[in-house]
Amino acid sequence: MAAGGMGGKTYSFKVVLLGEGCVGKTSLVLRYCENKFNDKHITTLQASFLTKKLNITGKRVNLAIWDTAGQERFHALGPIYYRDSNGAILVYDVTDEDSFQKVKNWVKELRKMLGNEICLCIVGNKIDLDKDRHVSVEEAESYAESVGAKHYHTSAKLNKGIEELFLDLCKRMMETAQAEERLKGNGASQSASSRRGVQIVDDELQATPAGGCCSSG
Amino acid sequence: MLRLAEQCLERAKSFIGKNTDPPRHKASSPTKTGHRRVLSDGGGELSPFLPPEVFQRLQTVEAQNTSKKELTPIEQASRLNQKLKANYEARLARLTPGQACQKTSLTLSLQRQMMENLIIAKARQEALQRKMEERRLRLQEEANRRFAASGGMTAEEQEQRTLYASVLEYEQDHDWPKLWKANMKENPDMALVPRLVSYLLSQSDHPVVKLLRKHQFRIYNRLYPIVSKGLPQSPALLLRPSHSTHNLLHSGKVRTWHLEGEEPHPLVTVDRENSFEDLEQFLTQLDWASAHDNQLLSLCLLSFECLNTASSKDLCLSSIEEAFFTPLWHALLALFRYCSLIPCPSLQGSYPYESAVQELKLLVTDYCPQKKLECLVRTLRLICACAEDCRCLHEVDATPRTSAIGADDLLPILSFVALQCQCPQLISECAALEEFIHEGYLIGEEGYCLTSMQSALAYVESAGCFLTGGLAV
Repeated sequence: MAAGGMGGKTYSFKVVLLGEGCVGKTSLVLRYCENKFNDKHITTLQASFLTKKLNITGKRVNLAIWDTAGQERFHALGPIYYRDSNGAILVYDVTDEDSFQKVKNWVKELRKMLGNEICLCIVGNKIDLDKDRHVSVEEAESYAESVGAKHYHTSAKLNKGIEELFLDLCKRMMETAQAEERLKGNGASQSASSRRGVQIVDDELQATPAGGCCSSG
Repeated sequence: MLRLAEQCLERAKSFIGKNTDPPRHKASSPTKTGHRRVLSDGGGELSPFLPPEVFQRLQTVEAQNTSKKELTPIEQASRLNQKLKANYEARLARLTPGQACQKTSLTLSLQRQMMENLIIAKARQEALQRKMEERRLRLQEEANRRFAASGGMTAEEQEQRTLYASVLEYEQDHDWPKLWKANMKENPDMALVPRLVSYLLSQSDHPVVKLLRKHQFRIYNRLYPIVSKGLPQSPALLLRPSHSTHNLLHSGKVRTWHLEGEEPHPLVTVDRENSFEDLEQFLTQLDWASAHDNQLLSLCLLSFECLNTASSKDLCLSSIEEAFFTPLWHALLALFRYCSLIPCPSLQGSYPYESAVQELKLLVTDYCPQKKLECLVRTLRLICACAEDCRCLHEVDATPRTSAIGADDLLPILSFVALQCQCPQLISECAALEEFIHEGYLIGEEGYCLTSMQSALAYVESAGCFLTGGLAV
């Protein structure tokens, strides 16, 4: 299930990591999974697929982080990577204007395919190279706000902002899952139709005012 | 007097004939017609797939072999009567021609005995049937009580009740479920779970197994018209069946496809479009494949409550899945192979990531989605391990934290491995797996590996790496 917030209050979230080739996605996620805990959290698939168990305000969260290939030639099957995702982390390099354009393309596609169900994070990485910055902070932040995403600044090298990014994302995904549960509880009894990312349009329309975290920016 | 006796004898003979014929017929007909079917299909239509009737029969053949069914009273009586008649004929042969009177009395007493036997048997049969009916109702009631809490009744719940009642009925007739349950209670060992399930699946008259066969047959029945008519039209399709029954039928077929492949077939494209439609139509209904798994699982769990823990459930499900998919996989795969098939060029000698390639080659030798997934995961892990080894060789100062493999590296390597694997059916295998993978796996490592493999294959395909290998193969 997309939002696996079943009775036992263990949430299972899928997060995809998108971004151009050299923006540092892999370092970002490796930092996150290695830094706080030990190497056990790295599966034998190394940095491509990572899982992490968290405990946020008493609720267990299982995070599955899917790295994607940045190279254009592997993008044909993008949709099968991010289907059923609860969150997406779109990484760009603050010194590379092009990589920011790529993020914009991803946002468009994700919103088109998954609607407002998915929590988007736009991440400007490599802030340690701020003197070479080519994407302005204002531009990035106002763009993020305009598409209902949140913006973060990180540095995988200096280990800055990464913990906050993931924690914040988890909280937002939990809110979305809880809102979905409430909706299910109130309305259409057991017709749980979130299977394979297929959403009933009515649900979606109601979800936005009921507290969809993404729209609150 | 003599004539009367003769008439009686005639009647007795016809009576015996009537009563002994049906069972004999029943016993011999399935195998006979089965053979005839296979032969006629093999010579005529040239399809590598067994017609649904034969498929079903093959599935149930073991059933007939293994289960020693108890005779009904009527059958018992007709056996008894046959013995009586044999005795009578032996005695008659010993009589001298002058003992006509004795012959008549023998004939009459035979007739009387046979009639009596039949009447008694009929009465017993009826009583037995009444008793069975009563028992059925009682068990149905018991089943209803068990599900009473669930409130409103859907058609599925109704079906489940009926199925559960038949399980209860089965358990009245057989001792082994009780023994197993007691055994499981005494030593709750995980190792027992697969053994129990495989034992259960070997009991062909158990409702779970019957349900499994029914579902398999329904799916095969749908698949057969599509895969049997479509296959000979695409020259590139080459199946490698390992099943002995397939092999028998197969030897002639390969040749025909090759012949057709030599001349451009104007219908190929049209047929492909049609097959896409078929496929689409079929896929929309494919959800039942997993729905069936679920139904089977829940029936299993109802039959053996001791299995109803998270870990036993998984074990149970994988056993069911294996039994369910193994006979169907060829046909399912054929359906998916319509859309995509490309032969690969070959390379020789030792090369990087060879262990991953060898592992991936094993994927097609399994017939169960879960095992295939495990194989995929092993392949990707081997790639990571190979890359790690390689890096350690080249870099003296290797710190694992900064240079672990990410998707940016994984996908190109995976594309290479897929290409080296030289296994044209991988694309279809993955497409089929995607349909049958359990939702729980989609989010996990298995889902990630499958997705990556599909991505790599899509790249390899789009790059046209195979085209030089030629579609003429």
